[in-house]
Amino acid sequence: MELTPGQTVNLTIGEKATVVKELGRGGQGIVYLVKVGKKDMALKWYINPPDDKFYHNLEKNVSSGAPNAAFIWPEYLTVRENGSYGYIMRLRPKDYYEFGTFLLARVNFRSFHAMLTAALKICAGFKVLHLQGYSYQDLNDGNFFINPENGDVLICDNDNVMAQGEKSGILGKARYMAPEVMAGSAPDKYSDRFSLAVILFMLFFANHPFEGAKVVACPCMTEAYEKKFYGSEALFIFDPKDKSNLPVRGVHQNVIRRWPHFPERLRRAFTEEFDSEHLQNPKKRMIENMWERLIMQVRDELIRCPHCKEETFVESSLASDKCMNCGHPINLSQRIKIGQREMMLALESPLYVDGDEIADAKVVASPKGDGALWLQNVSPKAWTVETASGKLKQVEPQGMMPVRTGMKISFGLDNLKGEVVAK
Amino acid sequence: MSLLDEVVEVPRRTMTLFFLIDTSGSMAGNKIGAVNDAVVNVLPILNDISASNPDAEIKVAALEFSSGCSWLYSEPKLASDFIWQDVEAEGLTSLGEACEELASKLSKSGYMKSASGSFAPAIILLSDGGPTDDFYGGLGKLKANNWFKHAIKVAIAIGDDADLEVLKDFTGNMEAVFSVHNIDALKKIIRVVAVTSSQIGSKSSSAGDTTKQQQVIDEVKQSVEDIDGAEAASDASVDSSSYDDDWD
Amino acid sequence: MRHYASTCQGESHKATAKPCQDSSMSGQKDGVLVAVVCDGHGGDRYFRSDRGSRLCCEVTAKAVREFARKAPDDLFAGASLTQRGPLSTLDPADKLRRQDIMLRQLFASIIARWSEAILADAQASPLSDDERSQLKPEWQEAFEQGLDLEKVYGTTLMAYVQTRSYWLAFHIGDGKLVAYDGKEWSEPVPWDDRCFLNKTTSICDVDAIDKVRYCYCGDGSFPVAVFLGSDGIDDSFGPMDNLIDFYRQVAKAIVMEGPIKTRNTLANLLPQLSKRGSQDDMSVAYVYDEERLPALIPAIIRQQIERQEAAIASLRSTIEAEQAKAESLSEATSQRDTIERDYALKKAETLQLKMEAEEQRLANLQAELQSLPAPSQSEP
Repeated sequence: MELTPGQTVNLTIGEKATVVKELGRGGQGIVYLVKVGKKDMALKWYINPPDDKFYHNLEKNVSSGAPNAAFIWPEYLTVRENGSYGYIMRLRPKDYYEFGTFLLARVNFRSFHAMLTAALKICAGFKVLHLQGYSYQDLNDGNFFINPENGDVLICDNDNVMAQGEKSGILGKARYMAPEVMAGSAPDKYSDRFSLAVILFMLFFANHPFEGAKVVACPCMTEAYEKKFYGSEALFIFDPKDKSNLPVRGVHQNVIRRWPHFPERLRRAFTEEFDSEHLQNPKKRMIENMWERLIMQVRDELIRCPHCKEETFVESSLASDKCMNCGHPINLSQRIKIGQREMMLALESPLYVDGDEIADAKVVASPKGDGALWLQNVSPKAWTVETASGKLKQVEPQGMMPVRTGMKISFGLDNLKGEVVAK
Repeated sequence: MSLLDEVVEVPRRTMTLFFLIDTSGSMAGNKIGAVNDAVVNVLPILNDISASNPDAEIKVAALEFSSGCSWLYSEPKLASDFIWQDVEAEGLTSLGEACEELASKLSKSGYMKSASGSFAPAIILLSDGGPTDDFYGGLGKLKANNWFKHAIKVAIAIGDDADLEVLKDFTGNMEAVFSVHNIDALKKIIRVVAVTSSQIGSKSSSAGDTTKQQQVIDEVKQSVEDIDGAEAASDASVDSSSYDDDWD
Repeated sequence: MRHYASTCQGESHKATAKPCQDSSMSGQKDGVLVAVVCDGHGGDRYFRSDRGSRLCCEVTAKAVREFARKAPDDLFAGASLTQRGPLSTLDPADKLRRQDIMLRQLFASIIARWSEAILADAQASPLSDDERSQLKPEWQEAFEQGLDLEKVYGTTLMAYVQTRSYWLAFHIGDGKLVAYDGKEWSEPVPWDDRCFLNKTTSICDVDAIDKVRYCYCGDGSFPVAVFLGSDGIDDSFGPMDNLIDFYRQVAKAIVMEGPIKTRNTLANLLPQLSKRGSQDDMSVAYVYDEERLPALIPAIIRQQIERQEAAIASLRSTIEAEQAKAESLSEATSQRDTIERDYALKKAETLQLKMEAEEQRLANLQAELQSLPAPSQSEP
């Protein structure tokens, strides 16, 4: 039964929630804006209440709490009344858009940095879910909401809580399912890893990895056809051996435009992840940690062009590369090496030393005006620098230091140490 | 006799030529005299182009701006009907206001009836100074106007005090700005620009890569080479100081 | 439902010996009715747009038939008229529905098949001597390397599809699709403001898929008639209202003079219209419900009469205003006022003549309405 504004529902914790208005409805239920005490919250109310098992599962989730802050998680459960039940969660803030709207480029990231931030947060979400024993079985593009300004991610629960309007239909879920799941086997963490790879690909290129010439050859996407192209005959659009599924001009413009600009290491990772060997052998798929590490390396290859000031990807294997916007050559010879990572120093580029999305250092011009590159400590912690000759220096927050080959920097963050090298 | 023989009206397509004329105080004297003289003399030529053109007829509208702005007539007139009334010069240079006024008339409720069957207008801006009001505010509104975006836009900078940067921003292209340094050149350029814009603007375009504006620029540039005291403002090789400034 | 499509070479194309770059088709098979109009781009860069538009008509007709055959029966069931502008005009919070996703697949396949078709054409027909003599060297070189072929063949696309359970229309580029539902005449497919004057969106655009706009309806209501006209037609008529009045004439002719005669008249008329109007190639395709249309003819004539009366009233008030203005300036002494007075008098005079013509047309329409056979008893 539907609820009406002003009506109250009883929560298992003894409090009441008062319905203010409807926010949206999906296949399973209606989402209402409610007041719990003085606080605005969202209530998902099931139109046809699922079985007891489902209720108990919700109870369990409520008591175990959200895996991390990115999850919009059931916080309170209602008692069973009015012929159904529902649960309370926090409201989704404004400025977050469903993942699907990014795919059609109806909303664009403010920057590549925001895009990479979103990728890291999605990896972290998968990781924490898997750590807690959950799996994302019926993942679809309604599960993620992303802030295009800063890349922040909100993850809605598995029954598509915040979906407004209708489900996307037969297309939708299948696009995120691993081929073996399409063929009938049960989803597990290996198939989730496939889904993660697809989501990351779509996040970066706004195109599905299998949607190329073969998929658009048919005017009508029937279920049989879907099974074939996302399952048994799935073929990566940039498969190095089989060119029959290349992206199509006029249709897959996003991936055509973006693919060549992303660093080689990322393109290579996707090409491997989606080759027939990995598609057929779920255990060979990349785990979340590897994706995180890779994306951080890609982030190290995102710098600000000293000439046009726009963000550009560069190849760290090169001592000099060209800006993808203005075409100007950029000198990449000076860098800081932290373990396997190499951060290239280009004027005004931020450096992300640890795993978060907040810059820790910034490349600035030498205050002496000699054109050399210096480093500014924009982190809250002091750095300890050992010069090539072995002297020890402190660089306080906001302090600056010259960059000379052989210097070793202890950043005071997660024990990370870097060394200035030249290429 | 068929029902379709009595087909509804097929209106003649039109192209409107707009003159935006600076009538601020600094234009007083022989500058404004030259403008009056040149426009009067070019009207019969525009009429000839209109009459012999199967594609479209040409209408003319003129907006003068000084301390404020006003249209010569309340609607565009056929070139054959347009009676020029000499404009007089005094006051400031409210080009921003003129831009806003033009934007309001470049619409269905203004001078333009429907995009179907219309040709993009041609707009000629004449000025000898710099705006004294919020030019960029007015230009912002004009630039959002679809008709303006597609229009042929040419500016004529009169003398060395004309703000070329402003004229460039108006036309969207320094190449579309032409400078003149004497009365004779001013008369000639008004004629060349008006005639060329009308000829090109009122033809069905079969252009491949060049816009009508570019075609006008290219043709006017060629003609300008034969006019002493006139040059393309983008043509940096011409030293304007070599011309005697004879405005005063 | 009946259907017809006709295309003629534009007056200006005759003069310059350019081929007709419009294509149109209509057909009905296995319960699926299709009408398509494509307008290949003018301009020297688009030197094979005549073939591009023809191929586009062909692949579109084929693809929509396949779509209609394979789409799930319930896809549009119950959907009231839903109109979607180009993707850029949609609110990000607006979710794409299953129908939108399925239609996007259809449009994607049309773009893909057209791209394949033009590639095959370019490979099968290398540049002719004639083409070579007219093309810039860089265009020849690009063509031979298979680059930018979509430009060479660039075209607009407009289509109407009707099955037993739903109808849909889609459009990329200019031209007008007008539908008559028995009451109103309207453009069911949203317009794209990027089509303005001689600029148009096109199937050759890099993001063509995002520029397709469309509508669908599955609630059981169908248009009585739909007209698809390339921009050569609407450019000849100017304001929309004028264009609609032309289609009213066509609808009347179909019923009052018969479909065959109307086709023949139209085939003769289009070239004349091009000559008097836009000079451009002209295509018109139409479909109509032969069972419902005849009974609506009186209503259509009444619409024309109303329009005519409104036009006359508006002319009358303008004339009066001009006369009043002239009157107020009768004592004018300044040059400006005398000019204004003469203008007002002249305008009033011109409009008076125009009004007489409009009054004559009104009388004709009234006579036409009178002459219609009285509705038979069996009709409601």
